[in-house]
Amino acid sequence: MKKTLSLILALLMVLSVLAGCSKSPAETPAGEEGKVFNIYAWNEEFKGFFEKYYEVPEGITVNWIINPSDHGVYQDKLDAALMGQSGASADDKVDLFLAEADYILKYVDNGATQDITKIGVTDFSNTYEYTVQAATDSKGVVKGVSFQCCPSAMIYRRSIAKDVLGTDDPAAVQEAVSDWAKFEAVAGQAKDKGYYMTASFASTYRVFSNNATAPWVDAENNLQFDAQVNAWMDQTEDFVSNGYTLTSGIWDDETTAQMFMDGKTMCFFGPAWYYNFSMGNAQDKDNGCFGDWAICQGPQAHFWGGTWLLAASGSDNPTMVADIMNTFINDEEVCSNLVKNEMQFSNNQAVNAKFAEDPEFSSAFLGGQNDTAMFVELAKNIKFENVTIYDQLLNEGLQAYMQEYYKGAVTKEEAMQNFLNYVNETYPAIITN
Amino acid sequence: MKHPVRRLKRGGVSYVKWGYIFIIPFFAAYLFFTLVPQLMTIYNSLFENYRDGLNQVGPNFVGLKNYKTLFSPDNSGSIGFLKYFGNTMILWILGAVPQILVALLLAVFFTSYRLRIKAQPFFKTVIYLPNLIMASAFSMLFFTLFSNVGPINQLIVQMGWADVKIDFFASTITVRGLIALMNFLMWFGNTTILLMAGIMGIDQSLFESATIDGAGPLQVFFKVTLPLLMPILIYVVITALIGGLQMFDVPQILTNGIGMPDRTSTTMVMYLNNYLSTSKNFGMAGAVSVVLFLVSAGLSVFVYGTLTKRSRED
Amino acid sequence: MIQRKNAAGRIHLLVARVVVYTILIFLSALCLFSFYLLIVNASRSNAQLQAGFSLLPQGNFFTNLKNAWNDASINIPRGVLNSFLVAGLTAVLTTYFSALTAYGIHAYTFRGKKAVFTCIMAVMMIPPQVSAVGFVQLMTKLGMTNSFLPLILPGIAAPVVFFYMKQYLESVLPMEIVEAARCDGSSEFSTFNRIVLPIMKPALAVQLIFSFVASWNNYFIPALLLDKAEMKTVPIMIAQLRSADYSKFDMGKVYMFILLAILPVLIVYIFLSRSIIKGVTAGSVKG
Repeated sequence: MKKTLSLILALLMVLSVLAGCSKSPAETPAGEEGKVFNIYAWNEEFKGFFEKYYEVPEGITVNWIINPSDHGVYQDKLDAALMGQSGASADDKVDLFLAEADYILKYVDNGATQDITKIGVTDFSNTYEYTVQAATDSKGVVKGVSFQCCPSAMIYRRSIAKDVLGTDDPAAVQEAVSDWAKFEAVAGQAKDKGYYMTASFASTYRVFSNNATAPWVDAENNLQFDAQVNAWMDQTEDFVSNGYTLTSGIWDDETTAQMFMDGKTMCFFGPAWYYNFSMGNAQDKDNGCFGDWAICQGPQAHFWGGTWLLAASGSDNPTMVADIMNTFINDEEVCSNLVKNEMQFSNNQAVNAKFAEDPEFSSAFLGGQNDTAMFVELAKNIKFENVTIYDQLLNEGLQAYMQEYYKGAVTKEEAMQNFLNYVNETYPAIITN
Repeated sequence: MKHPVRRLKRGGVSYVKWGYIFIIPFFAAYLFFTLVPQLMTIYNSLFENYRDGLNQVGPNFVGLKNYKTLFSPDNSGSIGFLKYFGNTMILWILGAVPQILVALLLAVFFTSYRLRIKAQPFFKTVIYLPNLIMASAFSMLFFTLFSNVGPINQLIVQMGWADVKIDFFASTITVRGLIALMNFLMWFGNTTILLMAGIMGIDQSLFESATIDGAGPLQVFFKVTLPLLMPILIYVVITALIGGLQMFDVPQILTNGIGMPDRTSTTMVMYLNNYLSTSKNFGMAGAVSVVLFLVSAGLSVFVYGTLTKRSRED
Repeated sequence: MIQRKNAAGRIHLLVARVVVYTILIFLSALCLFSFYLLIVNASRSNAQLQAGFSLLPQGNFFTNLKNAWNDASINIPRGVLNSFLVAGLTAVLTTYFSALTAYGIHAYTFRGKKAVFTCIMAVMMIPPQVSAVGFVQLMTKLGMTNSFLPLILPGIAAPVVFFYMKQYLESVLPMEIVEAARCDGSSEFSTFNRIVLPIMKPALAVQLIFSFVASWNNYFIPALLLDKAEMKTVPIMIAQLRSADYSKFDMGKVYMFILLAILPVLIVYIFLSRSIIKGVTAGSVKG
């Protein structure tokens, strides 16, 4: 054993030495800006588009530092890097990082990000206003841009809509679900025919919470439940007890299994990224129901998610930061490719309008519907307001603890108490009583 | 086992320094990599010190306020820490008691000259296998297996064992049962190997003479094996206890950090982790750690005391 | 009389063997089941996985293998290499220094010995998650993030392994051997290396593999310290993959990654398990 062990060790030593040697020697800064460009991200989505559509200037190495967003790992790593930014060597500095709607405020309203109008991103005439607003701090300084616009729609099964409502025409279906009372009535009809209205108890959460009239915490940092959030809880209680929905979470297998051909669910809610990336089961060749879908606004206008590119303070590559941002919001060809090839809804109104008006352009997944045309309409109603830096984990936590109530494992009081305890542990700054 | 004769030659003064020299590397590494961070933890428990977004709050000295918060009841009158301590103990007992008993049984089987088990390397290799899987991968596998649309539920419905699917994650009994099962599977092979090594270290002639004296297998086990195995068994029980008190990976990943339902599978370290993960609340986390340490130390001293006392009496 | 007793004894033995083998086979099946399922699932496409349960492998094994091996952001061969380096060195340091410390406390009488032992025992009780916070703060201050040293060196002080070694020494080491070596003029250090270590072989083998596995599977600390792609260890990659989020989520690839992540340990284990069992048997002779 000793021999084999020492053999393994010797091998490891050699390999480690080799690994050490393969590191490229420290580059000497030539020219004004850094040779290493660091991007922090939580997944590969933007990386894919970046590598396809952005031409990296010669001599610059792009480093992707990707950490999972689960349990706040991404934010933790990013925070540590940003807090140590001033002491980091030029090649280790964060240049660009990505952020999602639920926590973008944390980085925007902070010195960790810089004014992008000063580094060369000045033309926002084509972007959607809410995407700029989301990246603007309390003093009116713009810190970044979004490469996508994320109006969220009601995505429904055409065949089930025909069975329940007698039509699958988006306008007619929209008419039938245009407010919550109608939506609930249709849920009853669907149930009578043996269908579920939604596949997850939390399907409608974003539709309600995005229309909240007050943020999660007030000016004194007291936790508050908006009327819309309460309305979601009440409606979901009814939906569960009437059997209109399942009690599984949005990302659970049980919910995504409903996207197969033999699924019994009529409605899902989400933006373009949802059916492009998250409805893989529906797109499955053998078991899916590609083409049996369509979108309409649903009971309330709302948006969901979106990825912003933010400029880190202290970056040694400001020119390239600005160049990337401009490419993804103002380069017509790149934005067109995002819509055409990647089925994105871009953050360039002119490009989107071009596709919306193009009679040749349509989505085969949505049975030939021009989704860009629909999203152009929906995007007009997006409001980015009442957000806090705490939203992501408060939204997740509320859903997780209320799910136990909907499953019948706890009383509503117990569920709320568990949620409040969770808030105390997660955010000491929030006052809960 | 022969009794060490170290008392005979105590006079060799020159050897004493070697005792110190041999333990220096351990303590140097411990001092730097563990003690300093641990002292920082205890120190932290007396401060208000957390992160709010990108802004650092504190450290502000608050005395014992964090400990007070830890032991003050919530609106429903229950004290979180005590509840999670209870959960941890229940989960530990559910997993560790069968684990140690089964391991003891298997270790005796494997070392029995009477049974002469065939294919021993195979069995030993197999029962240790689950210990090799990362807790995260193992938990993920169990989560998929027992989910509402998972194979176990498909099987239950197909076989007609139940009319409707069993929601394994909505009931305290099933969630705790799954956690205990996973901990059992992951650790019983490990414990078996440890105990086996212990039994094989026992002088075989003792077994032989006991058998010649007419002792049955049970008597041999209780009168010879068990007392002589005590040092290793104490190690096994105490490390199992420590592992149990620090239980984290399996329930955390299986329940996605929620400890469902009604936080009945939230362990003490999961509770600690809740303070650390987002808010970097070193103050409260420090307080939880210090109490956790006191509880662990108390329990271990108790277990160590009772076990060594019993083995001395035997 | 004797014959009757023998016959009864034989039946007794037969029953005992049937019971024992049943228990062993049941437990082995339970253990193998999850591995089997992992291999089956690694051979299925995402759609097949979503569609339901299968006890039989399907034909997507090599597609998944290709996808996993060639994944742009998760360089699994590199991860395996990193993990081997960290886990191998940690296991060696942990085992050697724990044995040395245990011997130091077991074989010598010195002032404060009892206090030292109690101190190590107390240390053992403190959850590692606790010191992790301070540890990461300290390492960040020292600029030791994205380095393997803070993952390997703390292995020198492993109280749990020390405790095992101490308990083991108590049950197997006759001090006469040490005394005899001293009479032969062997220095204390070489007595430990040449005489005590070989006696401890079973314990060393057991703890070598235990600490290797523990380090191989360690996620908590490495995840806090490493974030450069070329430094990542296997568990970090697995976690990253798991939450690579709903976009492009290919469960077949995920299962393949898990399989690739445990395969090297599996091979090393099967390779070493022979030595362990031999070691355990060898240990019994010296008792």
